[in-house]
Amino acid sequence: MKGRLPWLLMALVLAVALAIGAQGHSGPRTEAQRVKHIASEIRCPTCRNQSAAESDAAAAKAVRDEITRRVRAGESDGEIVAFMVSRYGSDILLKPEGSGVATLVWALPVVAVVVALAGLAVAFRRWRARPGVSVSDEDRALVERELESSR
Amino acid sequence: MSDVDVDVAVSRSHRHTARWAAISLGVVLLLFIAVLATRKSAADKQAESPLLGKQAPSLTGTALDGSQVSLSSMHGKWVVVNFMASWCVPCQEEHPELVKFTQRHQGAGDAGVLGVIFDDTEPNVRHFFDREGGSWPVVSDPGGHTALDFGVRGPPESFLIDPNGFVVWKAIGQVNADGLEKLLSEGKARGG
Amino acid sequence: MSAALGTAGVWLGLLGAAIGVATLGLGLHRRDPKLLEAGRKYAWVIVAGAVLGVIAMESALLRHDFSLRYVAENGSRQTPLLFTITGMWSALEGSILLWALVLSGYLAVMVRHFRKRASDPLVGWATLTVFVVAGFFFALMAGPANPFRVIHGAIPTNGPGPNPLLQNHPLVAFHPPMLYLGYVGFTIPFAFAVAALVTGRLGEGWLVETRRWTLFAWGFLTIGIVLGAWWSYEVLGWGGYWAWDPVENASFIPWLVATAYLHSVMVQERRGMLRIWNLSLLLATFSLTILGTFLTRSGVLESVHSFTESPIGPWILTFFGLVVVTSVGLIAWRGDRLRSPGSIDSPVSREGAFLANNLLFAAFCFVVLLGTVFPLLAEALNGDRLSVGGPYFNRMTTPIVLALLFLMAVAPVLPWRKASEEVLRRRLFWPAAAATLVVVLCVATGLRGLAPLAVFWLGTFAAGSAVRQLALSARRQGWRGLVGRANGGMIVHIGVVIIAVAFAASHAYGHSREFRLSPGQSARLSGHTVTYLGSNTVKSSNKTSVEARVRVDGGKIYAPAVHQFPFATQAIGSPSVKSGLHDDVYLTLAAAPEQAGGSAVIGVIVQPLIMWLWIGGAVIALGTVLAAWPGRRRRPTAPVSAPVEVESTGPPPEPVGVIS
Repeated sequence: MKGRLPWLLMALVLAVALAIGAQGHSGPRTEAQRVKHIASEIRCPTCRNQSAAESDAAAAKAVRDEITRRVRAGESDGEIVAFMVSRYGSDILLKPEGSGVATLVWALPVVAVVVALAGLAVAFRRWRARPGVSVSDEDRALVERELESSR
Repeated sequence: MSDVDVDVAVSRSHRHTARWAAISLGVVLLLFIAVLATRKSAADKQAESPLLGKQAPSLTGTALDGSQVSLSSMHGKWVVVNFMASWCVPCQEEHPELVKFTQRHQGAGDAGVLGVIFDDTEPNVRHFFDREGGSWPVVSDPGGHTALDFGVRGPPESFLIDPNGFVVWKAIGQVNADGLEKLLSEGKARGG
Repeated sequence: MSAALGTAGVWLGLLGAAIGVATLGLGLHRRDPKLLEAGRKYAWVIVAGAVLGVIAMESALLRHDFSLRYVAENGSRQTPLLFTITGMWSALEGSILLWALVLSGYLAVMVRHFRKRASDPLVGWATLTVFVVAGFFFALMAGPANPFRVIHGAIPTNGPGPNPLLQNHPLVAFHPPMLYLGYVGFTIPFAFAVAALVTGRLGEGWLVETRRWTLFAWGFLTIGIVLGAWWSYEVLGWGGYWAWDPVENASFIPWLVATAYLHSVMVQERRGMLRIWNLSLLLATFSLTILGTFLTRSGVLESVHSFTESPIGPWILTFFGLVVVTSVGLIAWRGDRLRSPGSIDSPVSREGAFLANNLLFAAFCFVVLLGTVFPLLAEALNGDRLSVGGPYFNRMTTPIVLALLFLMAVAPVLPWRKASEEVLRRRLFWPAAAATLVVVLCVATGLRGLAPLAVFWLGTFAAGSAVRQLALSARRQGWRGLVGRANGGMIVHIGVVIIAVAFAASHAYGHSREFRLSPGQSARLSGHTVTYLGSNTVKSSNKTSVEARVRVDGGKIYAPAVHQFPFATQAIGSPSVKSGLHDDVYLTLAAAPEQAGGSAVIGVIVQPLIMWLWIGGAVIALGTVLAAWPGRRRRPTAPVSAPVEVESTGPPPEPVGVIS
């Protein structure tokens, strides 16, 4: 038990630090933060692969302005995003949302990892079940010879 | 091979793990290749728009000549709403086609074009029209709100609005006069 | 003239590859060593063809020979010299020419390196495979992607020059060649993997021979990716350096699989296991480079990098299909008979860690690949149009990266076969303590956010473990303790940790705002002061620019600008960056002043630790060089206890060095 004590203390200190550290993002966001957050999930319409929050393009500015207007008007994040989708189509969102096919992109990797872990577990069990290869005298002699020749 | 290896090899050969894994992966990959082979290029994608079949968003603005123009005032006509910029090469290429289209329908007055400036300045566009011709109203879109309302990604994009104000067609990229004519006659036949 | 020369070069390469394939094929079929010796000589014909093509293209670009369509579309008299030279790879056809050049270079090195074993069928099959690949790329240039097409009719007197984004920064001279040296380099290990499967000879250390090739290719690819991120940061103007863009992903996915291979092959060397898995990794790495090429050049995906479309897509896709069928077929045919015996006793062991490593990298590769192609799959399934962008990738890869950091810390201290808890506790205590101290300090100075703090803890943990390994090794062996695979690998790990920490910090603690400033006005952001001094218009040989002068923190003046190229459509913004060890101040000219002396809108983005991304990349490069340093030579012996036929290849082995 003695060897574990420093680790336990360290874990405690770390847990406290992380608990404090995880704070600070809660609480109501400012208007600018809300706009930035929503805009970062919407594709810049003219750019190839940037969010409306990042891009300087005219279309991105228009999106940000519209989001700002609607945030001020008291709309929720979901309503604003839904409006954008109603104009640009569902591919304006940078994260696939919604039902059906879109959930595949989130689910498939998780399923793949679970399947792979299961496969590894099966492999380990098979390895454990096999009786260990016993060392024969012939093998011992072989090892001795090799060690001699490399000295 | 020693006896040990032979035993191991025999027991292993009953399972053929590698073979099954490889074949299943191979099948998945061939399906994947089939999908890739049948994709159109991103630039050619058929212009789907969530606005199709719905009432066109309201469009008002100040035209180049200073007059107030709105889409609703053009009710009763077929309108091609054309988002353009003077710097965009496909816009330059489609411009003569739009000129042809407006000239064809000038007499009957049943169809027209309404231009909207996308990310460009009025002097540039005025200069462009002076050079290339074209007499349809072109409104400016400060702040890009109209473009956002129509879900425009970049110029040129065109929307065909029927006389009742419904969006019946969208084009991403340049249009040509004959294509527009065809759509017009199809729409009229349907009873637009 | 250039067209004729270039076309001759292309056909020379194509014919050399074809005849080489025929000769080697015949030699392998008849087991005729003389034919095998003769066949390899065609590699030099291929090299000659590629060199001829490159000379023809560069001379055409430099002489502004606009009779060549490629020069007419990508060259210009006004373009500065550097960008005229790099114009060779600034568009599709030229990039294929670069690929052919790099591939033939590697082919030449390979043929020369193995010249003493040229009559060995394994080398013969490998050379044949590389000939086939080279033949494909020359065929592309002879067919759909011909860089030497001639203009019919009037020859223009000037051209538009390369894409403006490719004329903005000198990194265009380094990023593509580095990337190709990496990407294309994987062809050689692939060829040997194919050869090993065909000949059934897996147990003689061939894969260990090619390990060094893979390491070099991997190193170049890493540098190429980091340079690409740096270039993107300096040029594109959005302040970011990694957008999970399809083209970025196309270069990253093979990197992931190659990294998995470099680790997994250690299990093979030590325990003789995972041979077929490692071969599969090599086959997959090369296949993914071809898939990546297809995705970036076929136009099916939109991207910042998109080359203009060409009918090249179906050709590459067909080749990809061929590679897939070959790889899968070989594994299905030979895989089970060639699998190694052996088992892993305990998951808590070095072997177990490498297995976990394989799993994590495979998952990483799957996530990035799925996210990249998902829009295509979704559309095929039910017509849904959706995008998969940064937010998806960041969310899905974060847990994998955290797990990998943990593994980086723990694996080097895990003994082979089995580990006891006490050993782990003892060895990992100080790295863990350092990590906890770092997090406590961060939280105390006000940093918040669970994800970045987790990265900081795990990163310090991993770096601490690596430093501990290096310290022990240096204490035991002096300066030699810093070279060799294990030690170089620890330095590479430190580089990766630096990049991970910098990535987390810049994403979590960056701030950006736009300020409308009149001349003389200042603004503050994140502890920095920017003062707008005014703008002026500058005309240069190939562009007209509006430059703003901005003084940062009372010191140097920076010049974010907007460039207008004569033949391009829109104006291109050009950012200006004040880089520092602590953070970067990134300036853009969001809106130029409307009248002279008017106010301008200056965009300011302050992100911490950006410079450490590039420093981390340099550390990885250093570690790679050190890892490739020939350490004490260990003859790779098949560790299976049965006697295996080994060709006598020189002096008896030296004593094995101690590995901690």
